Amino acid sequence: MPPRVIFQPYGWQRSQETPLSSEYDFALVNIGRLEAVSGLSRVQLLRPGSLLKFIPEEILIHGRDFRLLRVGFEAGGLEPQAFQVTMAIVQARAQSSQAQQYAGITPKAGQGSGSRKPPIPLMETSEDWETERKKQGARGWRVSTVNERFDIATSLPRYFWVPNRILDSEVRRTFGHFHQGRGPRLSWHHPGGSDLLRCGGFCTASDPNKEDIRAVEAMLQAGHSDVVLVDTMDELPSLADVQLAHLRLRALCLPDSSVAEDKWLSALEGTRWLDYVRSCLRKASDVSVLVTSRVRSVVLQERSDRDLNGLLSSLVQLLSAPEARTLFGFQSLVQREWVASGHPFLTRLGGAGASEEAPVFLLFLDCVWQLLQQFPAEFEFSEFFLLALHDSVRVPDTLTFLRDTPWERGKQSGQFNSYTQVYTPGYSQPPAGNSMNLQLSVWDWDLRYSNEQILQFHNPGYDPEHCPDSWLPRQQPSFMVPGPPSSMWLFSRGALTPLNQLGPWRDSSFLLAVSSRWLPRPAISSESLADQEWGLPSHWGACPLPPGLLLPGYLGPQIRLWRRCYLRGRPEVQMGLSAPTISGLQDELFHLQELLRKWTPRISPEDHSKKRNPNTILNPTEITGILKGQFHPFWITSC
Amino acid sequence: MLGKGVVGGGGGTKAPKPSFVSYVRPEEIHTNEKEVTEKEVTLHLLPGEQLLCEASTVLKYVQEDSCQHGVYGRLVCTDFKIAFLGDDESALDNDETQFKNKVIGENDITLHCVDQIYGVFDEKKKTLFGQLKKYPEKLIIHCKDLRVFHFCLRYTKEEEVKRIVSGIIHHTQAPKLLKRLFLFSYATAAQNNAAADPKNHTVMFDTLKDWCWELERTKGNMKYKAVSVNEGYKVCERLPAYFVVPTPLAEEDVQRFQGHGIPIWCWSCHNGSALLKMSALPKEQDDGILQIQKSFLDGIYKTIHRPPYEIVKTEDLSGNFLPLQEIQTAYSKFKQLFLIDNSTEFWDTDIKWFSLLESSSWLDIIRRCLKKAIEITECMEAQNMNILLLEENASDLCCLISSLVQVMMDPHYRTRIGFQSLVQKEWVMGGHCFLDRCNHLRQSDKEEVPVFLLFLDCVWQLVHQHPPAFEFTETYLTVLSDSLYIPIFSTFFFNSPHQKDTNVHQRQLSLPLTQSKSSPKRGFFREETDHLIKNLLGKRISKLINSSDELQDNFREFYDSWHSKPTDYHGLLLPHIEGPEIRVWAQRYLRWIPEAQILGGGTVATMSKLLEMMEEVQSLQEKIDERHHSQEAPQAEPPCLLRNSARLSSLFPFALLQRHSSKPVLPTSGWKALGDEEDLAKREDEFVDLGEV
Repeated sequence: MPPRVIFQPYGWQRSQETPLSSEYDFALVNIGRLEAVSGLSRVQLLRPGSLLKFIPEEILIHGRDFRLLRVGFEAGGLEPQAFQVTMAIVQARAQSSQAQQYAGITPKAGQGSGSRKPPIPLMETSEDWETERKKQGARGWRVSTVNERFDIATSLPRYFWVPNRILDSEVRRTFGHFHQGRGPRLSWHHPGGSDLLRCGGFCTASDPNKEDIRAVEAMLQAGHSDVVLVDTMDELPSLADVQLAHLRLRALCLPDSSVAEDKWLSALEGTRWLDYVRSCLRKASDVSVLVTSRVRSVVLQERSDRDLNGLLSSLVQLLSAPEARTLFGFQSLVQREWVASGHPFLTRLGGAGASEEAPVFLLFLDCVWQLLQQFPAEFEFSEFFLLALHDSVRVPDTLTFLRDTPWERGKQSGQFNSYTQVYTPGYSQPPAGNSMNLQLSVWDWDLRYSNEQILQFHNPGYDPEHCPDSWLPRQQPSFMVPGPPSSMWLFSRGALTPLNQLGPWRDSSFLLAVSSRWLPRPAISSESLADQEWGLPSHWGACPLPPGLLLPGYLGPQIRLWRRCYLRGRPEVQMGLSAPTISGLQDELFHLQELLRKWTPRISPEDHSKKRNPNTILNPTEITGILKGQFHPFWITSC
Repeated sequence: MLGKGVVGGGGGTKAPKPSFVSYVRPEEIHTNEKEVTEKEVTLHLLPGEQLLCEASTVLKYVQEDSCQHGVYGRLVCTDFKIAFLGDDESALDNDETQFKNKVIGENDITLHCVDQIYGVFDEKKKTLFGQLKKYPEKLIIHCKDLRVFHFCLRYTKEEEVKRIVSGIIHHTQAPKLLKRLFLFSYATAAQNNAAADPKNHTVMFDTLKDWCWELERTKGNMKYKAVSVNEGYKVCERLPAYFVVPTPLAEEDVQRFQGHGIPIWCWSCHNGSALLKMSALPKEQDDGILQIQKSFLDGIYKTIHRPPYEIVKTEDLSGNFLPLQEIQTAYSKFKQLFLIDNSTEFWDTDIKWFSLLESSSWLDIIRRCLKKAIEITECMEAQNMNILLLEENASDLCCLISSLVQVMMDPHYRTRIGFQSLVQKEWVMGGHCFLDRCNHLRQSDKEEVPVFLLFLDCVWQLVHQHPPAFEFTETYLTVLSDSLYIPIFSTFFFNSPHQKDTNVHQRQLSLPLTQSKSSPKRGFFREETDHLIKNLLGKRISKLINSSDELQDNFREFYDSWHSKPTDYHGLLLPHIEGPEIRVWAQRYLRWIPEAQILGGGTVATMSKLLEMMEEVQSLQEKIDERHHSQEAPQAEPPCLLRNSARLSSLFPFALLQRHSSKPVLPTSGWKALGDEEDLAKREDEFVDLGEV
């Protein structure tokens, strides 16, 4: 069990299946601020190690996840306990901040120990990568085992995808010319034929020979004649920006924030958080158009390749691939693009000191929430799921968000015990022993949530008509074009500019002469009618966007505040949110179907065919029974 | 795509020779044999509508980006609307036409809907008004429903440009006489259409029966009575023919000051407390008359302060609560955020969106109105007090606050019919000066204050926060707000029921044109009345005035306790009014901005899902009924609205998905470089390939 504070209401019973429970449960690392209050005037802010100066009547625990726990100690003999409890929390915080190592939760006996299969592929074995590659239909790609021992980079996963024709030795050489050894790897293969790649920055200091440069370029080109290099950092906030905005947002959303009602909007604007959400969505939307409109290789390049690249690549996939919008698909996406790709969760969430803290992942979740509320019928998961994920980054029950690199995560869970000393060739999978299976991930939701709560992860408004596999043909012509690319572009500042060469190094093998053909046209004069005809996007109009592609709105009025997440600590906002109309209807539907079945036992099968997945149907008693508003979001029609 | 634009659609115009001629010379029938276009776009005229002037080869810009891209067609001005006849309407498919407005097409602007007209002279934008010396090359029309049209006149004959520009300016901006409203020509020409729909049960409150029915419904008939003292508008032209007053009130009292100073009943709460309104007494200098007024008011107050009446609390709305001037300023700032000439402009302001929004203070005004309504609700519901709303004419904020209170307290008014009855009762019969406030006659810009729109926006906040409590949706409110500018409905085109009756029913008689109202001098008036009231009521209400702290506490407690309980959608309904809770009515204000469109998203996606499930519930229910009664019931086809429309845009029903396909997602600077013709062909092939494999 992670160290934490729990409030147990009377009559509240810990469910057997949920060792960690949710709403009154505050992991110590999650406590952002602790205040003791006595009377109206005495307020003391309690830092780890500070001494309580009076007997508190009330303590307020502000979560870093925007939750607020107010515990009042009623008069009547509780004073000594109030003091004790408060001091205990203070001391425990002091201790936990010194020793922040926590080994993760181990499942109890009888709770599926032994052969517990991870709910989603954790992308820790080459089989996972191979399965996923086949699923995406990435024919020109293969799983490379070159980093199996983390000797190229500890931040990289043990396996990743590289073009078929590139040898492992070439991969090894090439990756050395990228920042921290993070060379170009496939992120996602669009069924239309395009490839989305991600890589770190070029090592300008390294001095590759001609052959290396050719290999680098071949990897970036990935067999396409059209290569677009996306400067990920451009127009997106820096890590420091994200951190500052998040701090400001948290301050604004505190229940005692002093901002006047009529100044709220400009204060919100002042945090810049929504502005950053907007720029992420805008960029992701641009890139997904690049990926889907033409067959090409789109390479996301960020110096570290561990922060915004993951954000951008995940968002692009959410926008372009309906599979990624299912519950399973989204969790796999996060596991692949964030966890396995080495997003430094521990550092970014403040586990390793505040200096490099930047909640990039929370920014990503906010972006996903924006998409969810803009396209309420396109996602299989609900706002509640996002909230659960949002909250779990601070609850140290599994290693998923507790480590910076796949290597550390694996080391902790004892995956490599057998070969830290001697590497055995051909040994690609650890034995299916206990050491592996004890490892739990955040995706084991039943550790923390009851089945009823997990049922709420499903969005009742999800339209199964947009289910995967029905939107684009899976097959694609082989686009592995030999020879140099015919066009290379840099996508920056929202526009494409032609590139002469891909790398920063001098003697690039295929230096394209900038022909007049690629120069931007002179500004069109609006004088002649003929030019009117040229007008705008002549080619664009002719080629409709593929179905399944979501283009989010990112205008000022369309980017909203995730109230259910950020305003949870404000009592006046918590209550009375709208009723779940769709859930209500779904219940009625379910009820009627039951009735119908009861009355006519020999009912023809087509009546059943209309019935939806029973998982998405919620039990009416649960809906009405759960405390409204507080921490239980419902799917709502418009928020 | 553009080459196909209908050029010179004047060919074969069968437009009637206008019989009404202003200063525009009679329209020559313009035939152009050479240009017989494939698709003849005909001008659809309403009964009684007349073509005034037109111009051909006008280019209408598609408002997407700074690039010059448009459609050719005819620009037409009738006595009802400005219409652009291009060929893009023919591209509509069935789905689209299904949701088309029957009266106002996509490219139609009613004359009343025109807000501002700008001309572009050598790249400079100038407001156009009066007589022009020089004619612009581009015409920009801002509409009151926030559409923006750009018409390029560069390829139009000079003669036609002159005619159309001066025609449009004259017909939209010159002061008009009431009898020149299109409403009248329409009413004469289309008499039969006006037959009331028997299914429409909206209570019009134009008979004594309607008021008695309302008294009975709210159980107010014990203490209040409907009076017909103003039948034929004998007492006062400002008040409706029938209204309700406290039972003991003598009819002479009503006549005394032409209905001023009389508490008029609006609505009764279930606990017996009532909402009353009162227009202030006319300001007099003479001490003698002041004395008379004072004793008159004393008498009135004595009546309504005695049992069985509850304690009365007076809410003076003409004081500092919310000056109309402030509403006007706020809205004119606010609407500028949405009236954009091109997208670039929009992007520039986008980063500062929230602070711009805030500085307009429109949302804050909404908050203040909602807050006032909650305060009044608290007094009536929790403290069992009568509320007397006081305003100079009791026809602006009185209407707004009293109808808001009623929407919040009475679930009947949250049905569509109920809401319409409420608008009829409080606004139309309550004498809200729609004609002046909408400036339909273009006589005084100062009087133009969007009070009714403010009310709709407040109601929208409630609908948005509690959708299941309302029978109608935001789309209903949006369409209602649009109908303010469509002069074929008489509802929103008069200043009072009297004005309507005299003009509509006796329109054979010549109109008394001299009667048009001279606007009262506001600022002066208000202060004095304020003073008067305080004097008279000094002692009685001082307790309430001084106890503002206590009032705040009561308010807070009431508000918090309501919000901490589960909502009963058929009971009292309070809005959230905290900073983050007051929103922009996106559907109304953003619907014409292509960038605001979310294809396949928005609440429409939820709606279609909801409808689909409702259909399923219905059909299952039918099946169950069938089996239950073991009878063969005729299979009724469930209504299939929104079927086969899996990916509507978020701007539905105001914009549909087609337009979206031409929207470039990337800024064009990049694409221009790509836009090589040969390349284009290749690209198309690629795409087709993919589709077929």
